Amino acid sequence: MTEPLLVVEGVSVAFGGVQALGDVSLEVREGEIFALIGPNGAGKTTLFNVISGVLRPDSGDVRFAGRSIVGWAPHRIARAGIARTYQIVRPFGRLSVVDNVAVGALVHARTIGQARNDARDVVAFVGLGAYADRPASSLTLTQRKRLEVARALALRPKLLLLDEVMAGLTPTEMDGMAEFVQHLSERGIAAVAGIEHVMRLVMRISHRIVVLDAGRRIAEGDPAAIQTDPAVIEAYLGAPLAGA
Amino acid sequence: MTGSVPFLKRAVLPLAAVAVVVLILAPLRLNGYAINLLYVTVLSIALAYGWNIISGYAGYFSFGQIAFFGVGSYATALIVVNWHWYWMAAALAGGVLALLLAIPLGYVMLRLRGPFFAMGMFGMAQMVRVLVTAIPATGSGSGLFLPPGSGITEVYYWTLAICVGAIGLTVWIDRSAFGLRLQALREDEQVAATLGVETTRAKITAFGLSALIPGLLGGGYALYLTYIEPDAVFSSRLDLQSIVMAILGGLGTVWGPLIGGLVMTQISEALWARFPQIYLMIFGGLLVVLLIALPRGIVPAFAARFARRSGT
Repeated sequence: MTEPLLVVEGVSVAFGGVQALGDVSLEVREGEIFALIGPNGAGKTTLFNVISGVLRPDSGDVRFAGRSIVGWAPHRIARAGIARTYQIVRPFGRLSVVDNVAVGALVHARTIGQARNDARDVVAFVGLGAYADRPASSLTLTQRKRLEVARALALRPKLLLLDEVMAGLTPTEMDGMAEFVQHLSERGIAAVAGIEHVMRLVMRISHRIVVLDAGRRIAEGDPAAIQTDPAVIEAYLGAPLAGA
Repeated sequence: MTGSVPFLKRAVLPLAAVAVVVLILAPLRLNGYAINLLYVTVLSIALAYGWNIISGYAGYFSFGQIAFFGVGSYATALIVVNWHWYWMAAALAGGVLALLLAIPLGYVMLRLRGPFFAMGMFGMAQMVRVLVTAIPATGSGSGLFLPPGSGITEVYYWTLAICVGAIGLTVWIDRSAFGLRLQALREDEQVAATLGVETTRAKITAFGLSALIPGLLGGGYALYLTYIEPDAVFSSRLDLQSIVMAILGGLGTVWGPLIGGLVMTQISEALWARFPQIYLMIFGGLLVVLLIALPRGIVPAFAARFARRSGT
């Protein structure tokens, strides 16, 4: 039995006196849709920052495809096959949509022309084909979310970290995004989706779920188990009334 | 579709060829004043191109690139005086020295961002200036005489060649993968890194090129002055002038430094001829108006207009 694609082992991060992540562990297998849920401030973004190399954990280990990646520079982790999107969309505003995506495509392309061609395919794939040559700053929020995903996909990742991809989308757009993530999963791209709300979708598409609350892992399991877990219900709805 | 942009693109190469031929033949017909003016104009534009790489493309605003100009000047003067090299060889060595100095300096300085990098580079330039003048062989603060002999024409051709080279380098950067990486990190360095861009390496390369160009130009300037002292070559006036040219023309664009440089020198000369006492005041006011009207510079403003007209 080989090791899972991503192994996070006992990762802790503190900002001053605030424990953002306390001894968090999880495992993601190839092609799996893995939901990381928890209320605002639970530590989802911090964990994404650790995995993508933006933040170094105080302790613990992160292994990807069998190798420890703690201490690697972000560009090296990206090239190894982990791509991420940002919760607050961060397009390269002055560059065209194609060039935004071509930056990631350069990792695999031999020339810039080839990178732009690859980027055009990805841009069309996420449904932004008509906007390919516009500056990214002219896109709407929904389009910017897709651009985030397109840039990440251009790296041809094995693992995609999606930080609040559903936030700000209409219900129809959320269904579209969910379908898209399922489609990627069928192609063998694992996804870790950090999601605060939209439990309906999480329960429908996730293979496995980890629940974070105040930097700690409070539950893990398949959607059915999570929905009935008392710790999860408490984190989301508050403690049951005494005597109720 | 009027096709104005493709037309302009096709016109660039022949236009550039004609301009270069005219500039090469110019010294044969010009008087002393005109060739001096032409030299200083080409020098400032070349400096603006050097600055545009690190500050326009990579977005690291530097107020210290003149340090590399000073290093190039002093290195050339010392080599010519002590080792009697032909001055162009010495100026080349000065450029290489500036590049070699920029690599460790960039490694340290480029950890700073925004205003901290700008201030840090300003301080760094002062430090380099003091260090250079602390070397006894440079004559300390009292300066250094160069052997006479090389005329303004030679210096002008050297500077013109570097200016053309700097424009060529910028054209290449603008179209290359390296240039795309620089622009990505200018827009958002962390996102660029998580998209696989080796940001430190890209920044240091840009910083090195932005030091090489002034480093090469400095030697010519030393020969032009024939006597150099710290204030003359670590010149904040030259530094600021080239920065304003690049900003006025359009930061991070291929033709910005050239257009900005031409517009600035033309306005400045016309004003100086008519209002010698108050031309600087009028010039300053005009600059403010221009920058308010075209906040992103001349080239982006016109590019946007052409794009709208051709309906893309």
